[in-house]
Amino acid sequence: MMQDKDTKLRDQVSEAWPTVENEPAFDATWLAARQRHENTRRRYQRFAGVAALAATAIIVLFAQSPSHETYIEVADLLDSTYWTAPSDVLLPQREFDIYQDMPVLFESTEPAGGTLL
Amino acid sequence: MRDSDALDNNPYVSRSALEAIHSQVYGWALSRCDFDHATAEDLMQQAYVELLSGNARFDNKSSLKTFVFSVVQNLARSRFRRLSSRLRLVKKYHAETVETTVAAIEPVANDDIWRAVRALPARQRDVIELVFCRDLTVEEAAAVMGVTTGTGRVHYDRAKKALRKRLQLWADK
Repeated sequence: MMQDKDTKLRDQVSEAWPTVENEPAFDATWLAARQRHENTRRRYQRFAGVAALAATAIIVLFAQSPSHETYIEVADLLDSTYWTAPSDVLLPQREFDIYQDMPVLFESTEPAGGTLL
Repeated sequence: MRDSDALDNNPYVSRSALEAIHSQVYGWALSRCDFDHATAEDLMQQAYVELLSGNARFDNKSSLKTFVFSVVQNLARSRFRRLSSRLRLVKKYHAETVETTVAAIEPVANDDIWRAVRALPARQRDVIELVFCRDLTVEEAAAVMGVTTGTGRVHYDRAKKALRKRLQLWADK
């Protein structure tokens, strides 16, 4: 509860407080605020539209571009390179035949379980 | 113009309720910007935009008046924080080109009480305005100012004491 001396002070202050002159009408302020709100919303919508379009374009571009899964044709590969046996190199250049002496393999005559070792 | 906004989805606030407190809110906005009418009107519009866009949502936890006053207070604070930081920067780099004072439009009320009110610190002046001129309680005023009720009471008491002391001093002269 406000005391009497507070009430007196309150009255004095509220009386001395400058009165509001040329106060803008509520309707005008409200309308201006609505327009500002709409403008901001439209700007955001435009920005969102452009962003969505850009995103769609990027997705479509990436989706349509052919996936480059490359296969190596055997014929191309064979055409692009050659293979020479070691003996083919050694024989004409060094006249050395690696198969000159046939290696003697170990022979077994001992049977084990019906077969030769 | 489209009418479906955040406000239409809020049952606690209506255009007519805002219209009823428009005058009080304008007075509050005016004192937030040193009685500059253009800035006050801009603040009001911005406050309504915040309500329309749903950035400021009233949940009926306080009175609508307290809520809208808080919105205006916060907008004014952020606006002048930005302005003061810009001004600091400009002063720092172009000290010789900046005028040191910004001429504010002073209301024509040259009596002792108004001078005493103007001489109060900002918080005390705010609480006095809210309680004495805008018919809020000290609790509501504290909420608008963004301080605790206890702090609000301290500002209120100090403001009253300072006002009485100053008025007494002038009366004795």
